[in-house]
Amino acid sequence: MRAVAGLVGSSLIVGFALLLGLNLSTSPAGSSLAVTEDEQNNIEVYRAVAPAVVNITSISVERDFFFNIVPRQGTGSGCIINPEGYILTNHHVIEDAQRLEVTLADGSKWRGKLVGTDPDSDLAVIKIEAPRERLVSLPMGDSNTLLVGQKVLAIGNPFGLGQTLSTGVVSSLKRTLRARNGVLMEDIVQTDASINPGNSGGALLDSSGRLIGVNTAIFSPTGASVGIGFAIPVSTAKRLVPELIAKGYYAYPWIGATVTTLVPEDARVVGLAADRGALIVETVRSGPAAKAGLQGGTRRVRVGNRIIILGGDVVVAIDGRKLETADDLINTIREKRPGDTITLEVYRGGLQRDRLQVLLEERPRQR
Amino acid sequence: MLCRGEVKTSRSPNGLGAGLGLVFLIISLIWETGTAAALTKSEENTIRVFQQVAPGVVNITTTAVAYDFFFNPYPAEGSGSGFIVTEEGHIVTNLHVVRDQVELEVTLADGSKWPARVVGKAPASDLALIKIEAPREAVKPLPLGPSKGVQVGQKVLAVGSPFGLGHTLTTGTVSSVGRDVRVSREVVIRGAIQTNAAINPGNSGGPLINSQGEVIGVNTAIFSPTGANVGIGFAIPSETVRQLLPGLVSPWPRVVSWVLAAVLVGLFVWWLRRRL
Repeated sequence: MRAVAGLVGSSLIVGFALLLGLNLSTSPAGSSLAVTEDEQNNIEVYRAVAPAVVNITSISVERDFFFNIVPRQGTGSGCIINPEGYILTNHHVIEDAQRLEVTLADGSKWRGKLVGTDPDSDLAVIKIEAPRERLVSLPMGDSNTLLVGQKVLAIGNPFGLGQTLSTGVVSSLKRTLRARNGVLMEDIVQTDASINPGNSGGALLDSSGRLIGVNTAIFSPTGASVGIGFAIPVSTAKRLVPELIAKGYYAYPWIGATVTTLVPEDARVVGLAADRGALIVETVRSGPAAKAGLQGGTRRVRVGNRIIILGGDVVVAIDGRKLETADDLINTIREKRPGDTITLEVYRGGLQRDRLQVLLEERPRQR
Repeated sequence: MLCRGEVKTSRSPNGLGAGLGLVFLIISLIWETGTAAALTKSEENTIRVFQQVAPGVVNITTTAVAYDFFFNPYPAEGSGSGFIVTEEGHIVTNLHVVRDQVELEVTLADGSKWPARVVGKAPASDLALIKIEAPREAVKPLPLGPSKGVQVGQKVLAVGSPFGLGHTLTTGTVSSVGRDVRVSREVVIRGAIQTNAAINPGNSGGPLINSQGEVIGVNTAIFSPTGANVGIGFAIPSETVRQLLPGLVSPWPRVVSWVLAAVLVGLFVWWLRRRL
């Protein structure tokens, strides 16, 4: 008897739950007009934030073979990040520009002024003097909580076709990418949304319409999208933008030494005690590393078909954390601020272990 | 996350368990629609499926010996993808990924690297089976789904290593089904699934997955004038893999049948000679 009652009871529960479930699945379908929930979301996000994405035309002047002056135009994208008219874009979009022209979504054109730029992270901020009521600014989201598979929307100016929307998913996170000057950029977001030349500096958005990245690069043997695009995470932009606006540049901490990765094979061949770490190749005279007593290389040794410079200190740990490659050292330093002190564990002359304190300084700037 | 466990319980053969699982599934659905503010349902599905299947997808690095201008030998590396099909560590991939290679190295999702050996080959369909000797807890096989009922327009996910970028997820829809695609002189993909999910060199051998997290195809070829993705990719249907798998896992049935055939022919010849 009890078993039967239990069965009836459970089937009732199942029935109710099914009813509830059915109700739930039918109600949203009634409200949307012939488009799916996903389409509705795309449309809403595009309507809300597309006006915050601008076209940037950079005009530079070149001389042709006969020394005649020829203007050259490049196009990119940018996003308005606050109501004063500050626009976030890529460094490589504005790099060679002698004049910047910003086109808003309403078609109006404004003269852009360079506020600050950082080649190492390929970000720049420009400003237009447009009235506030014409400007829509883009809310910044969080790039640290992204998940692979999440939908992303890219808005930009591919091949000069302004206000183009393309969609895709987050393909991968935590990628690394080299900036044009060879500096390693971290935590890059990879997406299969179509990113093409001209999308650079444009917005990568989540399904809530918040900025999560700045579209920057693609991997492509053809020069156009093959479904592999890269965006600088908004967390990097959040860190840099206030300083770019205030000072015009981002003050990186600096150790004043050239380092290279020591691989175990090389260490074994030349007989070093440490097998992994960052090998100091040379130090800048009276730079932070030299002041702290770090020593650069003294002799060149041929290993296989490569030449390595030996005799310098081998850094094996920074602030108590072991490091494997030169990039580990560079990246740890980059998270610090000028004026911070780091503790390095080094092998002096490859044999004797030592501990040094280095006071980081502000990196000297070119120009 | 919650939903993932429930889907599993609803698959259990036990009737009561299935009923309970259904209740839980619906409750969790209600709960999800109530709380999930930031992500749409479609996104949640994609994220969950990726998290389910990513541990079963591997990156295959191949090393062949090449010679530089001065005839110094150097290792030329290539990369492809594959997916785990058995708990013993059998991995399905494309034959063109592993052909002519000196060394095979498999990188699992957790970053661990394992040497692999080729177990079986199916040249006519460009499939190969390789094996790693990894402990069972490190090996997460993917379920082979049905490729017969695949509909044009349904969502598909591709996971692989395009240009060596490991565990890349791309999505798209099924563009066409049942095509016979001639890939090279000897290889024809019968009943190929065509997709617009971005497939690039290095995706070869990786799984094409449906929204349930089941493998419905093996990404094998693209149509492209440039050599990279233009939105036309082809996958070998999972039915083909299912048919070929037993023969790939063990060569013995084939050996035994050849031996039997040889014995029969021998007997026939012996009988003929006795008659003459």
